Amino acid sequence: MIEFHPLVKQLLDGELTLADLPPELRRQGEAALRLLAAVDREPVTLPPAVDARVMAAVRRRAAAPPPSFWRRLVEPREVRFRLRPWTLAPVLAAAAVLVLLLGRPAPQPSATPTTVRFVLFAPQAQQVAVAGTFNQWDPAVAPLVRTGAAGVWAVTLTLPAGQHQYAFIVDGARWVLDPAAPAVDDGFGSGRRNSVLAL
Amino acid sequence: MKTLFVGLLLAIGAMPVAAQQDVGARLAGRVPPEVATLVQQLAADAAARGLPVDPLVQKAIEGGAKGIPADRVASAVRGVAAQLTAAAAALRQGGLTPPDTDAIAAGAFALNAGLSGAQIAQLVRPGASAPGAAVTLRVAGTLTALGVPATETVALVSGTIEAGESPAELLTLPARVQAALAHGATPAQAAAGLARAAAARANAPGQNRPKNPHHP
Repeated sequence: MIEFHPLVKQLLDGELTLADLPPELRRQGEAALRLLAAVDREPVTLPPAVDARVMAAVRRRAAAPPPSFWRRLVEPREVRFRLRPWTLAPVLAAAAVLVLLLGRPAPQPSATPTTVRFVLFAPQAQQVAVAGTFNQWDPAVAPLVRTGAAGVWAVTLTLPAGQHQYAFIVDGARWVLDPAAPAVDDGFGSGRRNSVLAL
Repeated sequence: MKTLFVGLLLAIGAMPVAAQQDVGARLAGRVPPEVATLVQQLAADAAARGLPVDPLVQKAIEGGAKGIPADRVASAVRGVAAQLTAAAAALRQGGLTPPDTDAIAAGAFALNAGLSGAQIAQLVRPGASAPGAAVTLRVAGTLTALGVPATETVALVSGTIEAGESPAELLTLPARVQAALAHGATPAQAAAGLARAAAARANAPGQNRPKNPHHP
């Protein structure tokens, strides 16, 4: 393999001209250019069979019916983009927002559910229910039933781990705190409170 | 290129709309329309800031179920939104970045129960909250709701965690305080007694204490 001086290589790459080379390298430069010209001018001949195969493929494609919608959809094709670099900034910003929104940790699934027995002593009541954050405050979902003891109403529910607020509803209208549980302000004023339960 | 850009923008815009539709569906027929609109706005804002949405919806539904007038329901929902914001700030101050929605909801509950933002930050600081911020704050809030003064609540919960108690044992603290109340103790006395017992366990020889960078 012929090893050329770096300046001669620059000449071959078109970065310099012969006149740019120092006198002692000009002969090497001329030789290199002659060699390159010889290689460039070497005629390339393809076998006739290749030529025929290529032309046959071109004619087949030209005569073929247009591809179906599905084929156009799934067939690999080259797609070229021409873009100005500054347009990438808003796209990257939008992508970052998407990643932040989608990558936000989801609420953790509740751990083992816990069985809780709600009990209320309401001897005058005709019906009692319990409503809270665990049943969307729906008084119809969890009615209490009378137990053997006079005036004692109870229901057993399976609740997910977490902090729950609730109250009893007596006779469909009166909201009553659980006397066996702590309570917090319910935020609606007039000293109203909810019972709380941490599981 | 333009299509791609527009598609991304549409995708971003569509998510809050989907969340709003979900909130709207949960509130439909359960609260007055003006309350539903307000909650949807507050929920979209909360979701954009990484705050939980469910407590807002729950408060509105609760108001509807209790037959509370619309203006008071709206006020209560705004109050919950403010508590969620304050809880998230307290959790960040305590070193939770970013705080998860479960912990924020528990922090808002603890604020409502009577703890301060600084006390919440103290309870969740790195190494102090081995059972997890949400469980710690739920227990602390429940103790405060039982009438235990906030300072004693923080001391009891922190001491119990430092004694190496499991989350399940931590969750029994309110019941243990209630048992002491049933025997005639005040909430502060009950908490102080349990805190002393936790400290004794923490100092017992051979006690396998959790690593705590604040108490090497």
